[in-house]
Amino acid sequence: MKAKSFLRASSLEEAYKLVKESPRNKIVAGGLWLKKGNADVDTLIDLSLLGLEKIEDKKDYVEVGAMVSQRELEKSPLVPEVIREATKAIMGPAFREIATVGGSVYGKYGFSDIITVLLAHHVELVFYPEAVITLDEYVKKPGFYDGILTNIRIFKDKNKAYFKKVEITALDYPILNVAVVKGKEYKVVVGSRPLVAALCENSTKYLNEGGKDFAKAAELAVEELKFGDSIATKSAYRKQLALTYVRRALEEVSK
Amino acid sequence: MLVKFNLNGLDVEINVKPGEYLLDTLRNYGVKSVKKGCDGSSCGACTVLVDDKPVLSCSLLTAKVEGHKVMTVESIQDEAAALSECFSREGADQCGFCNAAFALMVHALKKENPHPTDEEIKDYMVGNLCRCTGYQSQQKAIKAFLGGKK
Ligand SMILES: Cc1cc2nc3c(=O)[nH]c(=O)nc-3n(C[C@H](O)[C@H](O)[C@H](O)COP(=O)(O)OP(=O)(O)OC[C@H]3O[C@@H](n4cnc5c(N)ncnc54)[C@H](O)[C@@H]3O)c2cc1C
Ligand code: FES
Ligand code: FES
Repeated sequence: MKAKSFLRASSLEEAYKLVKESPRNKIVAGGLWLKKGNADVDTLIDLSLLGLEKIEDKKDYVEVGAMVSQRELEKSPLVPEVIREATKAIMGPAFREIATVGGSVYGKYGFSDIITVLLAHHVELVFYPEAVITLDEYVKKPGFYDGILTNIRIFKDKNKAYFKKVEITALDYPILNVAVVKGKEYKVVVGSRPLVAALCENSTKYLNEGGKDFAKAAELAVEELKFGDSIATKSAYRKQLALTYVRRALEEVSK
Repeated sequence: MLVKFNLNGLDVEINVKPGEYLLDTLRNYGVKSVKKGCDGSSCGACTVLVDDKPVLSCSLLTAKVEGHKVMTVESIQDEAAALSECFSREGADQCGFCNAAFALMVHALKKENPHPTDEEIKDYMVGNLCRCTGYQSQQKAIKAFLGGKK
Protein backbone atom coordinates (compact mmCIF):
# COMPACT_ATOMS: atom_id res chain seq x y z
CA MET A 1 0.00 0.00 0.00
CA LYS A 2 1.24 3.47 -0.74
CA ALA A 3 1.03 6.02 2.06
CA LYS A 4 2.83 9.27 2.76
CA SER A 5 2.39 9.06 6.52
CA PHE A 6 0.97 6.92 9.31
CA LEU A 7 -0.65 8.56 12.30
CA ARG A 8 -1.77 6.93 15.49
CA ALA A 9 -4.72 9.19 16.37
CA SER A 10 -4.83 10.32 19.98
CA SER A 11 -8.53 11.20 19.88
CA LEU A 12 -11.57 10.60 17.70
CA GLU A 13 -11.67 14.34 17.12
CA GLU A 14 -8.17 14.29 15.67
CA ALA A 15 -8.96 11.28 13.48
CA TYR A 16 -12.19 12.82 12.20
CA LYS A 17 -10.52 16.15 11.47
CA LEU A 18 -7.99 14.36 9.27
CA VAL A 19 -10.69 12.35 7.49
CA LYS A 20 -12.56 15.59 6.71
CA GLU A 21 -9.40 17.33 5.53
CA SER A 22 -8.95 15.11 2.48
CA PRO A 23 -10.49 12.02 0.88
CA ARG A 24 -6.89 10.79 0.55
CA ASN A 25 -6.62 10.39 4.33
CA LYS A 26 -7.97 6.99 5.31
CA ILE A 27 -8.87 5.23 8.53
CA VAL A 28 -6.93 1.99 8.81
CA ALA A 29 -8.47 -0.73 10.95
CA GLY A 30 -7.06 -4.19 10.19
CA GLY A 31 -5.92 -2.82 6.83
CA LEU A 32 -6.66 -6.10 5.00
CA TRP A 33 -9.17 -4.60 2.62
CA LEU A 34 -7.06 -1.51 2.08
CA LYS A 35 -4.23 -3.82 1.06
CA LYS A 36 -6.48 -5.84 -1.21
CA GLY A 37 -7.50 -2.62 -2.97
CA ASN A 38 -3.85 -1.57 -3.18
CA ALA A 39 -4.77 1.74 -1.57
CA ASP A 40 -2.77 4.86 -2.39
CA VAL A 41 -3.31 7.40 0.39
CA ASP A 42 -1.79 10.45 2.04
CA THR A 43 -2.26 9.64 5.72
CA LEU A 44 -3.22 6.33 7.26
CA ILE A 45 -5.15 7.08 10.45
CA ASP A 46 -4.78 4.30 12.98
CA LEU A 47 -7.44 3.97 15.69
CA SER A 48 -5.51 1.53 17.93
CA LEU A 49 -5.02 3.93 20.84
CA LEU A 50 -8.65 4.96 21.24
CA GLY A 51 -9.96 2.14 23.44
CA LEU A 52 -12.17 0.73 20.68
CA GLU A 53 -11.12 -2.88 21.20
CA LYS A 54 -13.47 -3.77 24.06
CA ILE A 55 -16.53 -6.00 24.14
CA GLU A 56 -18.84 -4.92 26.97
CA ASP A 57 -22.12 -6.08 28.45
CA LYS A 58 -24.45 -3.06 28.57
CA LYS A 59 -27.59 -4.73 30.00
CA ASP A 60 -29.83 -4.46 26.90
CA TYR A 61 -27.08 -4.98 24.40
CA VAL A 62 -23.50 -6.10 23.93
CA GLU A 63 -21.27 -3.28 22.77
CA VAL A 64 -18.46 -4.27 20.41
CA GLY A 65 -15.74 -1.70 19.74
CA ALA A 66 -14.98 -1.08 16.07
CA MET A 67 -11.35 -2.18 16.56
CA VAL A 68 -12.25 -5.55 18.09
CA SER A 69 -10.66 -8.23 15.94
CA GLN A 70 -12.77 -10.95 14.38
CA ARG A 71 -10.83 -13.38 16.52
CA GLU A 72 -11.83 -11.62 19.77
CA LEU A 73 -15.42 -11.51 18.56
CA GLU A 74 -15.55 -15.24 17.90
CA LYS A 75 -14.03 -16.01 21.32
CA SER A 76 -16.25 -13.73 23.41
CA PRO A 77 -18.92 -15.50 25.47
CA LEU A 78 -20.89 -12.22 25.46
CA VAL A 79 -21.50 -12.51 21.73
CA PRO A 80 -24.37 -14.68 20.40
CA GLU A 81 -23.15 -18.11 19.32
CA VAL A 82 -24.35 -17.80 15.73
CA ILE A 83 -22.34 -14.58 15.22
CA ARG A 84 -19.27 -16.28 16.64
CA GLU A 85 -19.71 -19.25 14.33
CA ALA A 86 -20.20 -17.07 11.24
CA THR A 87 -17.03 -15.15 12.11
CA LYS A 88 -15.03 -18.34 12.60
CA ALA A 89 -15.85 -19.35 9.03
CA ILE A 90 -13.79 -16.47 7.61
CA MET A 91 -10.29 -17.48 6.43
CA GLY A 92 -7.84 -18.70 9.14
CA PRO A 93 -7.09 -17.46 12.69
CA ALA A 94 -3.99 -15.49 11.60
CA PHE A 95 -6.25 -13.53 9.23
CA ARG A 96 -8.98 -12.99 11.83
CA GLU A 97 -6.46 -11.69 14.40
CA ILE A 98 -5.96 -8.73 12.06
CA ALA A 99 -9.42 -8.15 10.54
CA THR A 100 -11.65 -5.93 12.65
CA VAL A 101 -15.39 -5.88 13.22
CA GLY A 102 -15.54 -2.16 12.40
CA GLY A 103 -13.73 -2.61 9.07
CA SER A 104 -16.04 -5.52 8.24
CA VAL A 105 -19.21 -3.54 8.89
CA TYR A 106 -18.11 -0.15 7.54
CA GLY A 107 -16.99 -1.65 4.23
CA LYS A 108 -20.48 -3.06 3.36
CA TYR A 109 -18.89 -5.82 1.31
CA GLY A 110 -21.34 -7.73 -0.84
CA PHE A 111 -19.86 -11.06 0.24
CA SER A 112 -19.74 -10.20 3.94
CA ASP A 113 -20.63 -13.03 6.32
CA ILE A 114 -20.53 -10.64 9.26
CA ILE A 115 -23.10 -8.22 7.83
CA THR A 116 -25.46 -11.08 6.94
CA VAL A 117 -25.40 -12.57 10.42
CA LEU A 118 -25.56 -9.18 12.17
CA LEU A 119 -28.48 -8.04 10.02
CA ALA A 120 -30.55 -10.94 11.35
CA HIS A 121 -30.16 -9.37 14.83
CA HIS A 122 -31.19 -5.96 16.10
CA VAL A 123 -27.94 -4.06 15.63
CA GLU A 124 -27.13 -0.36 15.96
CA LEU A 125 -24.01 1.41 14.75
CA VAL A 126 -22.52 4.26 16.75
CA PHE A 127 -20.57 6.87 14.79
CA TYR A 128 -18.42 9.82 15.72
CA PRO A 129 -19.53 12.65 15.54
CA GLU A 130 -22.58 11.60 17.47
CA ALA A 131 -24.94 9.47 15.39
CA VAL A 132 -26.65 6.16 15.96
CA ILE A 133 -28.28 4.28 13.08
CA THR A 134 -29.47 0.73 12.64
CA LEU A 135 -27.34 -1.63 10.59
CA ASP A 136 -30.31 -2.09 8.25
CA GLU A 137 -30.43 1.69 7.57
CA TYR A 138 -26.67 1.78 7.07
CA VAL A 139 -26.67 -1.08 4.58
CA LYS A 140 -29.58 0.39 2.59
CA LYS A 141 -28.09 3.88 2.46
CA PRO A 142 -26.03 4.36 -0.71
CA GLY A 143 -22.34 5.11 -0.17
CA PHE A 144 -20.54 5.22 3.15
CA TYR A 145 -21.36 7.11 6.31
CA ASP A 146 -19.43 10.30 6.80
CA GLY A 147 -17.95 9.57 10.21
CA ILE A 148 -15.94 7.14 12.27
CA LEU A 149 -17.64 3.96 13.34
CA THR A 150 -16.87 3.54 17.04
CA ASN A 151 -19.17 0.79 18.31
CA ILE A 152 -21.53 -1.92 17.20
CA ARG A 153 -24.45 -2.64 19.56
CA ILE A 154 -25.92 -6.11 19.39
CA PHE A 155 -29.25 -6.13 21.24
CA LYS A 156 -30.05 -9.13 23.37
CA ASP A 157 -32.94 -11.36 22.41
CA LYS A 158 -33.65 -14.95 23.38
CA ASN A 159 -33.66 -16.63 20.05
CA LYS A 160 -32.84 -19.59 17.87
CA ALA A 161 -30.52 -18.80 15.03
CA TYR A 162 -29.03 -20.32 11.90
CA PHE A 163 -26.21 -19.23 9.63
CA LYS A 164 -24.90 -20.85 6.48
CA LYS A 165 -21.98 -19.79 4.34
CA VAL A 166 -21.94 -21.50 0.96
CA GLU A 167 -18.45 -21.49 -0.52
CA ILE A 168 -16.64 -23.50 -3.13
CA THR A 169 -13.57 -24.19 -0.97
CA ALA A 170 -12.77 -23.36 2.65
CA LEU A 171 -10.93 -20.09 1.91
CA ASP A 172 -13.29 -18.74 -0.73
CA TYR A 173 -15.60 -15.80 -0.54
CA PRO A 174 -19.12 -17.13 -0.07
CA ILE A 175 -21.27 -17.56 -3.16
CA LEU A 176 -24.27 -17.09 -0.87
CA ASN A 177 -24.86 -16.69 2.83
CA VAL A 178 -28.07 -17.01 4.81
CA ALA A 179 -28.94 -16.04 8.36
CA VAL A 180 -32.28 -16.63 10.04
CA VAL A 181 -33.19 -15.70 13.60
CA LYS A 182 -36.38 -16.60 15.41
CA GLY A 183 -36.70 -14.50 18.53
CA LYS A 184 -39.60 -12.21 19.37
CA GLU A 185 -40.06 -12.30 15.62
CA TYR A 186 -38.46 -13.88 12.57
CA LYS A 187 -35.73 -12.25 10.53
CA VAL A 188 -34.56 -13.74 7.25
CA VAL A 189 -31.40 -12.36 5.63
CA VAL A 190 -29.67 -13.41 2.42
CA GLY A 191 -26.29 -12.02 1.40
CA SER A 192 -23.49 -12.51 -1.10
CA ARG A 193 -25.93 -12.63 -4.03
CA PRO A 194 -23.26 -11.16 -4.83
CA LEU A 195 -24.97 -7.97 -3.60
CA VAL A 196 -24.70 -6.95 0.03
CA ALA A 197 -26.95 -8.70 2.53
CA ALA A 198 -30.59 -7.66 2.77
CA LEU A 199 -33.45 -8.42 5.08
CA CYS A 200 -36.16 -10.34 3.19
CA GLU A 201 -39.08 -8.15 4.16
CA ASN A 202 -41.93 -10.06 2.49
CA SER A 203 -40.72 -13.38 3.75
CA THR A 204 -40.20 -12.01 7.26
CA LYS A 205 -43.69 -10.40 7.21
CA TYR A 206 -45.30 -13.66 6.06
CA LEU A 207 -43.64 -15.58 8.91
CA ASN A 208 -44.38 -12.94 11.54
CA GLU A 209 -48.05 -12.99 10.56
CA GLY A 210 -48.14 -16.69 11.34
CA GLY A 211 -47.17 -18.19 7.95
CA LYS A 212 -46.01 -21.78 8.46
CA ASP A 213 -45.10 -22.88 4.94
CA PHE A 214 -41.30 -22.58 4.97
CA ALA A 215 -40.93 -23.39 1.27
CA LYS A 216 -43.27 -20.47 0.51
CA ALA A 217 -41.27 -18.19 2.83
CA ALA A 218 -38.11 -19.16 0.92
CA GLU A 219 -39.84 -18.44 -2.42
CA LEU A 220 -40.93 -15.02 -1.15
CA ALA A 221 -37.33 -14.29 -0.15
CA VAL A 222 -36.00 -15.25 -3.57
CA GLU A 223 -38.72 -13.27 -5.40
CA GLU A 224 -38.08 -10.03 -3.54
CA LEU A 225 -34.27 -10.00 -3.73
CA LYS A 226 -31.99 -9.24 -6.64
CA PHE A 227 -29.45 -11.94 -7.53
CA GLY A 228 -26.51 -11.49 -9.87
CA ASP A 229 -23.70 -13.31 -11.64
CA SER A 230 -20.05 -13.32 -10.59
CA ILE A 231 -16.95 -15.22 -11.68
CA ALA A 232 -17.76 -17.87 -9.11
CA THR A 233 -21.36 -18.61 -10.11
CA LYS A 234 -24.56 -17.51 -11.84
CA SER A 235 -27.65 -15.90 -10.33
CA ALA A 236 -29.82 -18.95 -11.15
CA TYR A 237 -27.63 -21.16 -8.97
CA ARG A 238 -27.64 -18.60 -6.18
CA LYS A 239 -31.45 -18.58 -6.29
CA GLN A 240 -31.58 -22.36 -5.98
CA LEU A 241 -29.19 -22.23 -3.05
CA ALA A 242 -31.27 -19.52 -1.37
CA LEU A 243 -34.49 -21.55 -1.80
CA THR A 244 -32.87 -24.54 -0.15
CA TYR A 245 -31.00 -22.82 2.65
CA VAL A 246 -33.76 -20.40 3.70
CA ARG A 247 -36.19 -23.32 3.98
CA ARG A 248 -33.62 -25.40 5.86
CA ALA A 249 -32.84 -22.48 8.16
CA LEU A 250 -36.52 -22.02 9.02
CA GLU A 251 -36.92 -25.73 9.73
CA GLU A 252 -33.85 -25.60 11.93
CA VAL A 253 -34.89 -22.58 14.05
CA SER A 254 -38.42 -23.95 14.44
CA LYS A 255 -37.38 -27.28 15.96
CA MET B 1 9.40 6.38 9.82
CA LEU B 2 11.17 4.61 12.69
CA VAL B 3 9.37 1.65 14.24
CA LYS B 4 10.56 0.06 17.48
CA PHE B 5 9.56 -3.44 18.46
CA ASN B 6 10.93 -6.58 20.02
CA LEU B 7 12.04 -9.16 17.47
CA ASN B 8 12.77 -12.63 18.81
CA GLY B 9 13.81 -11.21 22.17
CA LEU B 10 15.87 -8.29 20.87
CA ASP B 11 14.74 -4.67 20.77
CA VAL B 12 15.00 -3.37 17.23
CA GLU B 13 14.45 -0.01 15.60
CA ILE B 14 13.82 -0.15 11.86
CA ASN B 15 13.24 2.56 9.31
CA VAL B 16 10.18 1.68 7.21
CA LYS B 17 7.79 3.27 4.73
CA PRO B 18 4.41 4.25 6.27
CA GLY B 19 2.56 1.76 4.03
CA GLU B 20 5.08 -1.06 4.45
CA TYR B 21 4.05 -4.53 5.59
CA LEU B 22 5.78 -6.54 8.29
CA LEU B 23 6.66 -9.34 5.86
CA ASP B 24 8.77 -7.01 3.72
CA THR B 25 10.31 -5.36 6.77
CA LEU B 26 11.35 -8.70 8.24
CA ARG B 27 12.73 -10.08 4.98
CA ASN B 28 14.64 -6.87 4.26
CA TYR B 29 16.01 -7.10 7.79
CA GLY B 30 17.35 -10.56 6.93
CA VAL B 31 14.70 -12.80 8.47
CA LYS B 32 14.16 -15.02 5.44
CA SER B 33 12.32 -17.80 7.30
CA VAL B 34 9.18 -15.69 6.86
CA LYS B 35 7.93 -16.59 3.40
CA LYS B 36 6.12 -14.57 0.78
CA GLY B 37 3.57 -16.89 -0.80
CA CYS B 38 0.47 -15.15 -2.16
CA ASP B 39 1.15 -11.72 -0.62
CA GLY B 40 -2.63 -11.46 -0.50
CA SER B 41 -3.81 -12.74 2.93
CA SER B 42 -4.69 -16.17 1.57
CA CYS B 43 -1.91 -18.76 2.05
CA GLY B 44 -0.54 -18.35 5.59
CA ALA B 45 3.14 -18.79 4.55
CA CYS B 46 4.01 -15.40 6.04
CA THR B 47 2.62 -16.15 9.52
CA VAL B 48 4.50 -14.70 12.50
CA LEU B 49 3.47 -14.21 16.12
CA VAL B 50 2.70 -10.77 17.47
CA ASP B 51 2.27 -10.78 21.24
CA ASP B 52 2.03 -14.58 20.95
CA LYS B 53 -0.87 -14.46 18.49
CA PRO B 54 -0.51 -15.67 14.90
CA VAL B 55 -0.89 -12.95 12.26
CA LEU B 56 -0.30 -12.76 8.50
CA SER B 57 2.78 -10.55 8.22
CA CYS B 58 2.02 -9.78 4.56
CA SER B 59 -1.12 -8.00 5.66
CA LEU B 60 -0.06 -6.27 8.87
CA LEU B 61 1.43 -2.79 8.53
CA THR B 62 4.81 -2.62 10.23
CA ALA B 63 3.82 0.67 11.85
CA LYS B 64 1.20 -1.29 13.79
CA VAL B 65 3.76 -3.41 15.65
CA GLU B 66 5.34 -0.40 17.37
CA GLY B 67 5.97 -1.46 20.98
CA HIS B 68 4.90 -5.08 20.40
CA LYS B 69 6.66 -8.44 20.52
CA VAL B 70 7.25 -10.18 17.18
CA MET B 71 8.35 -13.81 16.98
CA THR B 72 9.47 -15.80 13.96
CA VAL B 73 10.43 -19.48 13.85
CA GLU B 74 13.96 -18.59 15.01
CA SER B 75 12.58 -18.06 18.51
CA ILE B 76 11.05 -21.54 18.79
CA GLN B 77 13.89 -23.60 17.31
CA ASP B 78 13.66 -26.60 19.67
CA GLU B 79 9.94 -26.91 19.31
CA ALA B 80 10.17 -26.51 15.53
CA ALA B 81 12.77 -29.31 15.40
CA ALA B 82 10.54 -31.63 17.41
CA LEU B 83 7.55 -30.84 15.19
CA SER B 84 9.72 -31.37 12.15
CA GLU B 85 10.47 -34.93 13.35
CA CYS B 86 6.75 -35.63 13.53
CA PHE B 87 6.31 -34.15 10.05
CA SER B 88 9.09 -36.37 8.64
CA ARG B 89 7.63 -39.46 10.25
CA GLU B 90 4.25 -38.79 8.64
CA GLY B 91 5.64 -37.67 5.28
CA ALA B 92 4.07 -34.29 5.94
CA ASP B 93 6.57 -32.06 4.20
CA GLN B 94 8.47 -31.84 0.95
CA CYS B 95 9.85 -28.47 -0.13
CA GLY B 96 9.50 -26.96 3.34
CA PHE B 97 8.19 -23.59 2.16
CA CYS B 98 5.18 -23.76 4.48
CA ASN B 99 6.97 -25.28 7.48
CA ALA B 100 8.05 -22.22 9.48
CA ALA B 101 4.51 -20.88 9.41
CA PHE B 102 3.10 -24.27 10.40
CA ALA B 103 5.50 -24.44 13.36
CA LEU B 104 4.40 -21.00 14.57
CA MET B 105 0.73 -21.89 14.17
CA VAL B 106 1.21 -25.12 16.13
CA HIS B 107 3.09 -23.22 18.84
CA ALA B 108 0.17 -20.77 19.13
CA LEU B 109 -2.42 -23.55 19.05
CA LYS B 110 -0.62 -25.40 21.84
CA LYS B 111 -0.71 -22.29 24.03
CA GLU B 112 -4.35 -21.61 23.33
CA ASN B 113 -5.65 -25.15 23.35
CA PRO B 114 -3.06 -27.75 24.47
CA HIS B 115 -5.29 -30.76 23.73
CA PRO B 116 -7.24 -29.98 20.57
CA THR B 117 -9.66 -32.33 18.86
CA ASP B 118 -9.14 -33.23 15.18
CA GLU B 119 -11.74 -30.65 14.22
CA GLU B 120 -10.06 -27.96 16.32
CA ILE B 121 -6.69 -28.67 14.68
CA LYS B 122 -8.33 -28.45 11.26
CA ASP B 123 -10.07 -25.17 12.10
CA TYR B 124 -6.84 -23.67 13.42
CA MET B 125 -4.71 -24.69 10.47
CA VAL B 126 -7.26 -23.94 7.73
CA GLY B 127 -5.53 -20.73 6.62
CA ASN B 128 -2.14 -22.39 6.11
CA LEU B 129 -1.75 -23.92 2.69
CA CYS B 130 0.78 -26.52 1.60
CA ARG B 131 1.22 -27.09 -2.11
CA CYS B 132 3.23 -30.31 -1.76
CA THR B 133 1.57 -32.67 0.67
CA GLY B 134 -1.96 -33.69 1.53
CA TYR B 135 -3.30 -32.20 4.73
CA GLN B 136 -4.01 -35.61 6.27
CA SER B 137 -0.36 -36.26 6.98
CA GLN B 138 0.09 -32.85 8.57
CA GLN B 139 -3.01 -33.35 10.67
CA LYS B 140 -1.57 -36.66 11.91
CA ALA B 141 1.84 -35.10 12.58
CA ILE B 142 0.38 -32.19 14.54
CA LYS B 143 -1.81 -34.57 16.50
CA ALA B 144 1.17 -36.75 17.33
CA PHE B 145 3.17 -33.68 18.37
CA LEU B 146 0.42 -32.33 20.62
CA GLY B 147 -0.89 -35.68 21.76
CA GLY B 148 -4.36 -34.40 20.75
CA LYS B 149 -7.75 -35.68 21.80
CA LYS B 150 -9.79 -38.02 19.54
C1 LIG C 1 -8.44 -12.14 1.01
C2 LIG C 1 -9.65 -11.74 1.77
C3 LIG C 1 -10.69 -12.66 1.97
C4 LIG C 1 -11.84 -12.30 2.68
N1 LIG C 1 -12.84 -13.22 2.85
C5 LIG C 1 -13.96 -12.88 3.54
C6 LIG C 1 -15.02 -13.82 3.73
O1 LIG C 1 -14.99 -14.95 3.26
N2 LIG C 1 -16.09 -13.41 4.46
C7 LIG C 1 -16.19 -12.15 5.01
O2 LIG C 1 -17.18 -11.85 5.66
N3 LIG C 1 -15.19 -11.27 4.85
C8 LIG C 1 -14.10 -11.59 4.13
N4 LIG C 1 -13.11 -10.65 3.93
C9 LIG C 1 -13.28 -9.30 4.51
C10 LIG C 1 -12.64 -9.24 5.90
O3 LIG C 1 -13.27 -10.17 6.75
C11 LIG C 1 -12.78 -7.84 6.54
O4 LIG C 1 -14.14 -7.55 6.65
C12 LIG C 1 -12.11 -6.77 5.72
O5 LIG C 1 -10.76 -7.11 5.51
C13 LIG C 1 -12.18 -5.38 6.39
O6 LIG C 1 -11.67 -5.40 7.67
P1 LIG C 1 -10.32 -4.62 8.04
O7 LIG C 1 -10.27 -4.53 9.52
O8 LIG C 1 -9.20 -5.24 7.34
O9 LIG C 1 -10.64 -3.15 7.44
P2 LIG C 1 -9.68 -2.08 6.69
O10 LIG C 1 -9.10 -2.65 5.46
O11 LIG C 1 -8.76 -1.45 7.65
O12 LIG C 1 -10.79 -0.98 6.33
C14 LIG C 1 -11.79 -1.23 5.36
C15 LIG C 1 -12.47 0.10 5.00
O13 LIG C 1 -13.24 0.58 6.09
C16 LIG C 1 -12.76 1.86 6.55
N5 LIG C 1 -12.83 1.77 8.02
C17 LIG C 1 -12.31 0.77 8.79
N6 LIG C 1 -12.66 0.96 10.08
C18 LIG C 1 -13.39 2.09 10.12
C19 LIG C 1 -14.04 2.81 11.19
N7 LIG C 1 -14.00 2.37 12.46
N8 LIG C 1 -14.72 3.93 10.88
C20 LIG C 1 -14.76 4.37 9.59
N9 LIG C 1 -14.18 3.75 8.55
C21 LIG C 1 -13.51 2.62 8.81
C22 LIG C 1 -11.35 1.98 6.00
O14 LIG C 1 -10.99 3.33 5.78
C23 LIG C 1 -11.47 1.22 4.68
O15 LIG C 1 -12.04 2.03 3.70
C24 LIG C 1 -11.96 -10.97 3.20
C25 LIG C 1 -10.93 -10.05 3.02
C26 LIG C 1 -9.78 -10.41 2.31
C27 LIG C 1 -8.69 -9.40 2.15
S1 FES D 1 1.96 -14.38 1.89
FE1 FES D 1 0.72 -13.74 3.53
S2 FES D 1 -1.02 -14.98 3.40
FE2 FES D 1 0.14 -15.55 1.64
S1 FES E 1 6.00 -28.77 1.96
FE1 FES E 1 6.03 -27.60 0.15
S2 FES E 1 4.50 -26.10 0.52
FE2 FES E 1 4.33 -27.41 2.21
